[in-house]
Amino acid sequence: MERMTRRDFLKASATAVAVSGLAGCASTGDAPTASTTPSDLAPKSGKRVVVIGGGWGGATAAKYVRMQDPSIEVILIEPNKKFVSCPFSNLVLSGVRSIDSLTFDYDGLRKQHGVKLMHDTATAIEPDAHRVRLARGFLVYDRLIVAPGIDFQQEQIEGLAEAGDRVLHAWKAGPQTVALAGQLKEMRDDGVFVMTVPPAAYRCPPGPYERACQVAWYLKTRKPKAKLIVLDANQNVISKPALFRAAWQAYPNLEYRASNKIAKVDPAAREVTTEFGDKIRYDVVNVIPPQRAAAIAVQADLVGVDKRWCEVNHVTYESVKAKDIHVVGDSTIGIPAPKSGTVANSMGKIAAIAVVNLLNGRPVPEMPPINTCYSWVSDTEAMAVVNAYRIENGKVVQIEQKLTPGQSTLYAQHANAWATSVWNDILA
Amino acid sequence: MVAAAVVLIAGVAFASSAAAGPVDTPGFSKAFSCSACHGRGGAARGDAVPALAGMPTWYFKKAIEDYAAGRRPSPEMEPFSKMVKTLGVDEVAAYFAAQPRQASPVKIDRTAAERGRAASAPCAGCHGADGRGDQAKGTPPLAGQPPGYLLNQMKLFKAEKRSPGDQALTQVKAVMKPLDDATLADLAAYYGSLGR
Repeated sequence: MERMTRRDFLKASATAVAVSGLAGCASTGDAPTASTTPSDLAPKSGKRVVVIGGGWGGATAAKYVRMQDPSIEVILIEPNKKFVSCPFSNLVLSGVRSIDSLTFDYDGLRKQHGVKLMHDTATAIEPDAHRVRLARGFLVYDRLIVAPGIDFQQEQIEGLAEAGDRVLHAWKAGPQTVALAGQLKEMRDDGVFVMTVPPAAYRCPPGPYERACQVAWYLKTRKPKAKLIVLDANQNVISKPALFRAAWQAYPNLEYRASNKIAKVDPAAREVTTEFGDKIRYDVVNVIPPQRAAAIAVQADLVGVDKRWCEVNHVTYESVKAKDIHVVGDSTIGIPAPKSGTVANSMGKIAAIAVVNLLNGRPVPEMPPINTCYSWVSDTEAMAVVNAYRIENGKVVQIEQKLTPGQSTLYAQHANAWATSVWNDILA
Repeated sequence: MVAAAVVLIAGVAFASSAAAGPVDTPGFSKAFSCSACHGRGGAARGDAVPALAGMPTWYFKKAIEDYAAGRRPSPEMEPFSKMVKTLGVDEVAAYFAAQPRQASPVKIDRTAAERGRAASAPCAGCHGADGRGDQAKGTPPLAGQPPGYLLNQMKLFKAEKRSPGDQALTQVKAVMKPLDDATLADLAAYYGSLGR
């Protein structure tokens, strides 16, 4: 990833600094080269919110802080230059969608909302000093919003870390998604595609089952002699089970095996081994590894006793473990809402409003999140699960969960309408 | 150090007098979730979801009641309508009614819209020649709604899947019954093209 130099960053910030009448505060000295004294990459003048992670939760939060109070400086730290949507990325595997159709730039956040983008990686958080560390220095914040998403627990599967790019997860949309689509396309006509589902909790509960539909649809239409084997670490399909099982009736080439947690992957032998010792040969493998909150959240000790996920206040999204640090998106736990894009988008908005109000000494309104998860079961049909919530005694409580009665092109239209609106809500 | 502190204080003073943001708009903190599907401020971006911006409060509230009661069967809107009722439907309705309507980015087939205009006489009697609707007649505004949404609603009416058995809707269903899907699509394009 290309990195923004301090000088570039200051240049990019100059307009906003001038507008807020604070020019000069951020222009002292040259960038130090010594690693001994970490430098303040952008000295703080007014109130500042730093956001770690420009995905569904973080980008939304950055935008909504600026929308709510343009006097607050917002710096968004995101290593990737482009936003690639995880929702709908299973459609890239089947060729129904291009990766380009899911790829957006951050220009709207910068130009429309004055969010300062820093394409860099946060390496550590210093809660007492209110600082975020990056490789070249640090940033000071008044409040921090942590939205780093998930990391993989590769160590739980023997051979996975060593396998490198020979075993793909494609669970963070981007180059791996495109690479896995390529492997599927190149697979021999009577090949075996093996995909593994991690134990809950993981990002996007229906996602692996949607992926199974898309791979099976592709094989059925392009390689009818090929086969898909789904090895699920869970005892059953953990999201929309009846709907997915009904959808799979159309895919006799799909073999689903519950309670089949994998213990080992061997790319040289093209073989995975389950924890019961069963060996399954593959031509193409897609291992979706077990997951936890991304490393930065673990490093900052925002995670609970399970060392995996971050517990937060249900109204403000402030960490229960660290003052002035809020956590949104897939790295959270404890709120009875799934790790979905819609929930992350909801959390981003709610946390942003909470942060602005807290910085301005105002009461925080109680705002419940929502969830909508559409799953594509073929090239033209989708289905959905919807969850509505309320806040009761400071906790998020579910009002109702509802599933679509089946799959249809109508729900596929709704899925497209949702995606178009929500991408706009995050980035434009 | 002293200079920095002074600047910080100045910054605080500046911020506290900052202009009000969206959350200060009455109803925003109850309506903000809707933007995931219905667009920010109810300005829908997609084709199959209605725009809520500028929707009259009486019709918004009727829709919420119909969804919550299952008269408009919708697995997506039933839970959310109950949530809106929990939060306070009056405030959410007032919020969207006050939002400026923006043109939908969905492209309109102009030829289809022309055919739709020619076929729109039976609709205009109740929805008005400009498609703005009439509360006295219980007809909602159609102008500028995404055509995909309008078409789906007409199909649901025709198939007795929206408000089945509702006597008040006998007339609108009778109007749609003899029309084929192509004509319904033309009408949807026409009403979607109005008020842009």
